[in-house]
Amino acid sequence: MLVGENLIKEFNKVVAVNDISFKVDEGKIFGLLGPNGAGKTTTIRMILNIIKPSSGKIIFDGQVINDEFFNIIGYLPEERGLYQKSRVMDVIMYFAELKNMSRSSALKQADYWLRKFEVSHYRTRKMQELSKGNQQKIQFICAIIHNPKLLILDEPFSGFDPINQQEVKDTIMSLVDSGKIIILSTHQMETAERLCSEIFLINKGKEVCSGSLGQLKKRFGGNNVKIEFDGDGSFMKDLSFVKNIDNYKNYAEVQLVDNFLPAEFLKAVIDKIQVNQFSVVEPTLNKIFIDVVKEIQE
Amino acid sequence: MNFNKVFHVAKWEFLEKVKTKAFIISMILTPAIIIGFTVVPTLLSNQEPKAPKVVGLLDPSGNYFKGLDTALSKYKLPDGQPNYILINLFGNNATGINAERDSADKDVISGKVEGYLFINKNKNDSVSVEYRSKTIGNFNDLQKFNDAFNTVRIQRKLKAENINPALMSFISNKVDIKQIKIEASGKTSNADFLSTFFSSFIFIMLLFMMIIYSGQMLVRSLVEEKASRLIEILVSSCSPEELLAGKILGLSSLGFFQLIIWALIAVALLGAALIPLNAFQNIGMMLVYFVLGFIFYTALFVGIGSISTTEQEAQQITSYLSMILILPVVLISAAIQNPHSVLLKVLTYIPFTTPTTMLIRLNLSEIPWGVLAATTLIMLVSIFILIKIASKIFRIGILSYGKRPSLKELRQWIVSK
Repeated sequence: MLVGENLIKEFNKVVAVNDISFKVDEGKIFGLLGPNGAGKTTTIRMILNIIKPSSGKIIFDGQVINDEFFNIIGYLPEERGLYQKSRVMDVIMYFAELKNMSRSSALKQADYWLRKFEVSHYRTRKMQELSKGNQQKIQFICAIIHNPKLLILDEPFSGFDPINQQEVKDTIMSLVDSGKIIILSTHQMETAERLCSEIFLINKGKEVCSGSLGQLKKRFGGNNVKIEFDGDGSFMKDLSFVKNIDNYKNYAEVQLVDNFLPAEFLKAVIDKIQVNQFSVVEPTLNKIFIDVVKEIQE
Repeated sequence: MNFNKVFHVAKWEFLEKVKTKAFIISMILTPAIIIGFTVVPTLLSNQEPKAPKVVGLLDPSGNYFKGLDTALSKYKLPDGQPNYILINLFGNNATGINAERDSADKDVISGKVEGYLFINKNKNDSVSVEYRSKTIGNFNDLQKFNDAFNTVRIQRKLKAENINPALMSFISNKVDIKQIKIEASGKTSNADFLSTFFSSFIFIMLLFMMIIYSGQMLVRSLVEEKASRLIEILVSSCSPEELLAGKILGLSSLGFFQLIIWALIAVALLGAALIPLNAFQNIGMMLVYFVLGFIFYTALFVGIGSISTTEQEAQQITSYLSMILILPVVLISAAIQNPHSVLLKVLTYIPFTTPTTMLIRLNLSEIPWGVLAATTLIMLVSIFILIKIASKIFRIGILSYGKRPSLKELRQWIVSK
């Protein structure tokens, strides 16, 4: 279990991370979300033991993290890059050996992953001869080759085509199934929504909200319906129980005032327009994100 | 500190750089350039003439021809021919000495003679001698003419005064003064300006090249890893101190590896000619200052490398720093002439110039052990402080992107815990 306790990080009197706490269990993906400059990278660096928190501590399996921690951590940074002039296998072996892997098991694992990602024929090539996507695969392999107990992935899907995104996603899921802790930082809300069992939303260094996706949806869900119709729907925005509406002429997303039943809304409009489809919608993580961040900024 | 990780970083830095084309090229090219700059000119100027030179003599007195001819005939070419053939250009002086000189000048222009000696009697009974030729600058020839003329002149005078021939040869024999360096330990050694100069100079140049070479490699690899964010993966695998130690270890090994190869080339080419260099008498202490200087400057380069965001920027600062290192070289000849100068003493105690200055002074005279101890201590203390500061800057600098930190920010980095 990974626990962050009251983490604060100041740089020259600027507070980058302001008193955040979290807890992640084995076999879970923890989504660390937030707008640019919210403090995600600083938080990740503290977990990675690259920078020390000004106060508070990070505990892994009951122990405050120390230099031993380096060997059980895997990290895929957002901005990618590898030694362009070096050979694929040499680079993988370097990172594996830096994680204290023995040469023989590193070779075996490298072989396994290179085959799995269908890049094993590039092993003696120089990095710069590989396409961007293939370089990303190598970097992903470097992050997981030593079978880390804790894996931190920053935008793991960017730069991959849909087929390889699927491959990476499957790999992440199999790591989760084998009991790893994964921290995922991304701006792709749909990805986060599908993968993360826990969400932690951070803005301006502070925790905005956290919890399971279900809890978040309940809390920030509001009361939304989706309606497809023919006819003039412009009257809907004047209804007293409509809080907010996105009207696209034949389609509208409507936010109702709290505790107003969707069925009552349908009753109120069904005589005035021809309703083709009507559904109650759960808010997307994307919407929650935008609403919450905007709310704070206002 | 986990030395296993330090070793892996060092191994990586060494192996990846040793494979690069740039390394292989510089390994071959540098000795080639040095040979080109040193050996070839020496070969050219030392080249023995292949055919005798015809040299004229214009001597209105007629007193010198026989003596000079004898004196010059002792110089032989390798194949046994005489080096110089002296011919008399003096006619009957019917047209006056100026006309004789003009005609002799024409002989030079037409190539009949290489040049000629013009012995001119002055009014107060002294003589002046000119060597007139198309080109000037053959130092060797002129030296021989000079010796020959003066020997003949003195011998003539002594003969005229009826001096005993044995005394004559005694007087005309010149004794060269040899320089012997005395050390307190009772040892003495032959030393002259050139060998002293080169003994120090070789070590300083090696130190300089190694620092520039390894230092720039270090800075370049840091800047590359920073730009590609690889540094973040590295410091999530080992501590910044381990990374730093590994890099320094790997790249210094690379530098030493290159030095050894160059040394082998030098030994193969020059062999025993290297041994007279008196650098080898103080080799122990020389190596101490060499290593101390190397570590000092490498630590300095690390600090700079970690705050630079582009290679050009890093290179600019590192080349200025390297200048400080070779500053004492500029003073080397002045130092040899006056080993007790105040400036030299001051430079001895400034960590930036201590190694170079000591490399010079060690060859000049025996250094009191107090000075050795003090300078070594100064270097050790400043290396300790510098490494502390450099690793602080390194720790924060490698994770900062964008603009270069101001001095104020740097100070904050250094004091932060």
